[in-house]
Amino acid sequence: MDASLQRFISALRMAEVRISPAETLDAFRTVDRMGMENRQQLKESLALVLPKTAEEKLAFDACFDAFFRFEEFSDAPQGASDDESGEGDPSGDGEGSEGQGGGGDGQPQGQGSESRNSDASSGDPAGDGPPGDDGADPFGDPGPGPVQDAQSALGQQLQQGDRAALALAVSQAGEAVNVAGIKVFTQKGLYTRRIMDALGQGALQEEIGALATQADPTARRTAAQLSGLRDDLRERVRDFVERQFLLHADADGHRLREAMLRHVKLSNVEHRNFSHLKRLVEKMAKRLIAAHSRRRKKMRRGQLHVSRTLRKNLRYDGELIDLAWKARKIDRSKVFAICDVSGSVATYARFMLMFLYSLEAVLPRVRAFAFSSDLGEVTENFQRMAIDDAIATTLADFSGGSTDYGQAFDDFLRVAGSAVNSQSTVIILGDARNNYGNPNTKALREIYDKAQRVIWLNPEPERSWGSGDSEMPRYRASCHQVNVCNALNHLERVISDLLVAVR
Amino acid sequence: MSTAPIPFGSVAEVQAGLESANYICSTQIATAVYLALELDKPILVEGPPGVGKTELAKTTAALLNHPLIRLQCYEGLDEAKALYEWKYAKQLLYIQVLKEQLGDVLAGAKGLQASLERLHEFGDVFFSEDFLEPRPLLKALQEEAGAVLLIDEIDKADQEFESMLLELLSDFQVSIPELGTIRAKGPRPLVFLTSNNTREVSDALKRRCLHLYIPFPEAPLERAIVHARVPEIPPALERELVAFIQALREKDLKKVPAISETIDWARTLLLLNAEQLDGQLVQDTLNVILKFQDDIDALTPELPSLLATARKSA
Repeated sequence: MDASLQRFISALRMAEVRISPAETLDAFRTVDRMGMENRQQLKESLALVLPKTAEEKLAFDACFDAFFRFEEFSDAPQGASDDESGEGDPSGDGEGSEGQGGGGDGQPQGQGSESRNSDASSGDPAGDGPPGDDGADPFGDPGPGPVQDAQSALGQQLQQGDRAALALAVSQAGEAVNVAGIKVFTQKGLYTRRIMDALGQGALQEEIGALATQADPTARRTAAQLSGLRDDLRERVRDFVERQFLLHADADGHRLREAMLRHVKLSNVEHRNFSHLKRLVEKMAKRLIAAHSRRRKKMRRGQLHVSRTLRKNLRYDGELIDLAWKARKIDRSKVFAICDVSGSVATYARFMLMFLYSLEAVLPRVRAFAFSSDLGEVTENFQRMAIDDAIATTLADFSGGSTDYGQAFDDFLRVAGSAVNSQSTVIILGDARNNYGNPNTKALREIYDKAQRVIWLNPEPERSWGSGDSEMPRYRASCHQVNVCNALNHLERVISDLLVAVR
Repeated sequence: MSTAPIPFGSVAEVQAGLESANYICSTQIATAVYLALELDKPILVEGPPGVGKTELAKTTAALLNHPLIRLQCYEGLDEAKALYEWKYAKQLLYIQVLKEQLGDVLAGAKGLQASLERLHEFGDVFFSEDFLEPRPLLKALQEEAGAVLLIDEIDKADQEFESMLLELLSDFQVSIPELGTIRAKGPRPLVFLTSNNTREVSDALKRRCLHLYIPFPEAPLERAIVHARVPEIPPALERELVAFIQALREKDLKKVPAISETIDWARTLLLLNAEQLDGQLVQDTLNVILKFQDDIDALTPELPSLLATARKSA
C-alpha cells in the first residue's frame, strides 16, 4: 500500500494539488490510523490531509476515484468475512473447512472475481452461488469439490484472494516495468503484457497447462479456477494500465498545451482553446496573487497617540520613553485600464481584462474603459457579471465603429479625468492605428501629467510601430512605459511589474 | 508531553457524540475531529459563513468536556493580546510595597557589588509566572486537563500573527523571552482555526493543519439539523422550508442564506404559528434569511415560482 499511496500522491501532484513532503508523511500516518478497510472513510480522511483548497478538493475527488478503483476495498460486510477466510486459508486447514459446505470452497478466491468479472469463464465459484456452479466450467469439471494449492507463486497469490496484496503486486510490477512512462494509448497492450509477465504469468500458464491435462478431478478443477482468476487479473491489469495512461500521459499533454498557449499570439488562438486560456489566466493570476498578497502596510507617521504611549510606557514606570504615533494609511493606487476593443485588438483586450479582474484580490480598484470610437466605462459590467459575460457585453456595446484614439482620450478625460491623480496607473491597450484621424496627443499628455504612470501595451511588434496609420511614435513620448504585448506571458510579465509598482 | 487518551473508538462514535450534543454533521466532519484527535493536528475549517464552523468547536469542547478557549482574530491582533502580557501595574505596585523590605534585604551588604549579588539571590521575582497575564493561546497550553482552542476567523488577522502561530501549532509551545519556552502542561489542546476565506491563509499554516471544508448541507442533512435545533416545528413546514432555502441557494444572490439563517427562520415561523409556507408569510419574513435589500428586491417577483418548486420537492 505504501507504494500505492506514494503513486497516488504523485498523481495528485500531476493534477495540480500541491503536496509537501510533510503532508505526505501525514497521509501515511492517516492511512496507518484509519486503515484501508473502508474506502469512503479512507477518502474522507485523506481529503482532510492532502488537498488544502476548495479547488484542490475537487481535483482530489476525481483523482481518488480514478486511482483507487482498482484497489476495491471490501466495505460490504460480506467482503469483510471474505478477508478473514482469505487469511485463514493459507494456513493449511483451509481444505478441511472447505469440504463442509458445498460452495464454501470457492469463497476466498471467488469473491475477488465476482464483483468485476461476471462473464469470466471460471463459472463464478462464489461462496453464495449454488454448488453446481463449478460444473459450468469449460474444462468439464466434475462438480464441486476441493481444489489443491497452486504451485506457482502467482497462482498461490490468486488463490489466497488477498486483493490488497494483489493490488500491491500489480503496482509493484507496474513500477518495475515503468508504467508511468506510458506516452501514447497504443502502448496499453504492451504494458499490460509486460506487467503480467513481471507478475509471473509464465509459471502460472505452465501450471495451468499441466493441471488441465491430468486425470485427477481436483487438478482439473484447480486449473479451471486458476485460469478464471488469471483472466480476471489480466482484466484488472488492463484497467490499471488504462488508468496510468490517464493519470500520467494525459497530464503531460496538458502541460504541453499550456506551455504552448502561454507563448502563442493571442489573436491566433482558436476559439475552442479559449476555455483553456481562461483556465491558464486564472492560474497565472493565482500565482501572482500568492506572490503579491502579502500586504505591506504603508503608513505615514501622524500625530502622537497619547493613550497608547501611556500604556506602552507603563513598564518604564510611566516615564515616557517609547513613543507611539498615530499612523495614516497611504491609499493604494488606482488602476485605469483603457482598452481598444475594435476588431483587430479585441482578443487582446479580452484577455487583459480577464487578467486584471482575476486579480481582484490584490488589485481591488480597477476601473475599465472600452472604446473603438466613443469611450465608456465598463467597470460596472465586471462588478455585476461573471467575467465571461462582462467581456461579451463590453465587446457587444463598444466594438462597432472605426477606431478614434483622439476622441477616446477626450472622453476618458471627461469621464474619469478628475479621478486620475498622482497615485493612479493608466494602462492603455491598443495598436495606436488611428485611421489617419487627429491623434490628439495633447489629451494623452494631460493624462500623462496627471497620472503616476501611463503604460501603453501594443500587440503589434515594435518594427511596425509608426508604419501606415500607426501613431505609436507620437504617443510613445507621452507614456512612461511602452511594451509589446501579444501573448499571455507578456501580459503576465507586465502585470507582475505593475503589481510591484502599484503596491 | 503526554497525549490524551482518545475518548472515541471510531468515526461513527464521534458522529454519534456530536449528534447527541445536537450537532448534526456529515461523516466528513466527524472524520476530521476523529483524525485531529488521533494525529494531534489542528483543524483549519473553511466554508461560507453560517455553516457551523464555530459551533463545531463549541460542540466538540462540550463533548470532550474540555474548556473552550476562544481567540477572536481581527486586524492588528498582536502577541500581547493573543499570547501573554506582563502585569505591569502589579509589578509596579509590588515594587512600591516591597521598597521598605529592600533595606532589610540589603542590610549588611557593603558596596554596590555586594548589594547586587545579594539581589541576584532572589532571582527574577518580578518576571515570573505570578506576574504573567496569560492570553488565550498561553491559557490553552496551561490547561492541565486539555482544552479546545478556537482561533476564530484567522483570515482577519495579519500575516505576522499567522507566522507567530506556526510554532504553537506544530510543537504546541511558545517562547517567552524572560521565561524561556513554555510547553503544553497537559495533553495537547485540540485546535480549531476557522476562516471565511476573505484572504488565502498561508501555505505554511495550511501544511500544519487538517483542512476541512464545510459546504452548505444537502437537503436531508439540513432537515435533520433543523429538526434537531427546532424540534417543535411541524414536519410539513420543515420540509417546505428546507426545500425553499435549498432552491434559494441556487439563485444569484449577494449573500445566500446559511444554516444559521435557516434555523432562525424556522424559529420565526414557529413563533408565528405557521403550519405551511404561503406567499404573504414568506414575503413578511424574508428579511430573516436575506440580509441585503437588493437581494430581497430581486427575489420578490420570483417568490411564487420559488414557493411552487419548494412545495413540489418537499
